[in-house]
Amino acid sequence: MLFYSFFKTQVGQHVTVELKNDLAIQGVLESVDQFLNFKLKDIKVVDEERYPHMLSVKNCFVRGSVVRYVQLSPPTVDTALLQDAARREAQSTQQMQQAKPNVAPPVA
Amino acid sequence: MTDVASANAAAAAGPTSSFSMVEEPLDLVRLSLDERIYVKLRGDRELRGRLHAYDQHLNMVLGEVEETITIVDVDEESNTQSVRTVNRKVPMLFVRGDGVILVSPPSRAS
Amino acid sequence: MSEQQQQSATAVAKKTPTDFLNHILGRRVFVRLNSGIDYRGVLACLDGYMNIALEQTEEYVDGELRNRYGDAFIRGNNVLYISTA
Repeated sequence: MLFYSFFKTQVGQHVTVELKNDLAIQGVLESVDQFLNFKLKDIKVVDEERYPHMLSVKNCFVRGSVVRYVQLSPPTVDTALLQDAARREAQSTQQMQQAKPNVAPPVA
Repeated sequence: MTDVASANAAAAAGPTSSFSMVEEPLDLVRLSLDERIYVKLRGDRELRGRLHAYDQHLNMVLGEVEETITIVDVDEESNTQSVRTVNRKVPMLFVRGDGVILVSPPSRAS
Repeated sequence: MSEQQQQSATAVAKKTPTDFLNHILGRRVFVRLNSGIDYRGVLACLDGYMNIALEQTEEYVDGELRNRYGDAFIRGNNVLYISTA
C-alpha cells in the first residue's frame, strides 16, 4: 500500500511513465489504484517520430503491470517521509508474517 | 550489516524472543535505505541511485539515478557482435519491482 | 513410527526441500537464475518466495566471472535452483 499512497500524493503532478515496450508517455497523473494502474491526461509521447500512433490521444489508462519506470519531479517527493514510511511498512509486513506464518511460507 | 549469516546463526541459536528480529532477505534492502544502491534489472538494464522507498514486491523510489543499458549489436555481414552501453540520468525514479533481478549496496560492488 | 522418530529421521536425511534449505544456511551455495546467470556466495538467508541474501557474491555470465558484490539480494522469481557449491 506504500506506493499506492505515494502515487495518490502525486495526483495532479507531471510524470513520465515508461512502459516495458520502451514507449514513454508524459502527462499529468489523474488517478491511481491499488494495482498501480494509472490514468494520465494531457499526454504526449516522448519520442513521437518513433511512436506516432498516439498523436491524437489526450487521455489514457496504463495497466500497472506494463510499467517499467515512472519519472517524477524531485521537489514533489518528500524523501524523508518516504524512508520513514518504508521502514514502517517493512515492520508491519514482518509482523504480519510472524503472526500468520502460513500466509507467506517462510522457509528459514 | 557486516555479517548477516553470523547474525542469523546467533538469532537461530538464541530462544525466539518476543521482539524477534527475524533475519530475512528483505532486511538487506531495508538496511540500504538512504544509501546508494546498485539494481540489476531485466532487459540488460542497471541502475545506481539513492534508495528512498521500497516494498515487498521490490517496487522502489530511487533518487539521483544513473541508468546503464547494455545493447548488443550484431553485424550480419561479418556475423560479429559489438556491445555498447547507453547511460542516462534521472533525478527521481519509481521502479516497478517485477523487473528487478538483484539489489546490492554499490560501495561493495567492485 | 513415532513423531519424534520421524523428526530425527528427517533431520538426518534432509527429506523436504525446506529441510535442505535450512541445512545449507550459512554455507557456500550456487544459484542459477532463469536467465542462465549464476551466482556463487555464502547463503545468508532466504524466505518463502525464494528471495535470497548472499554474501561474498560472485556473478558468472556464460561461466565467466563478471562482478563481485559484498551483499546481494536476489528476487526469488528469477531463481531456477539453489545448490551447494
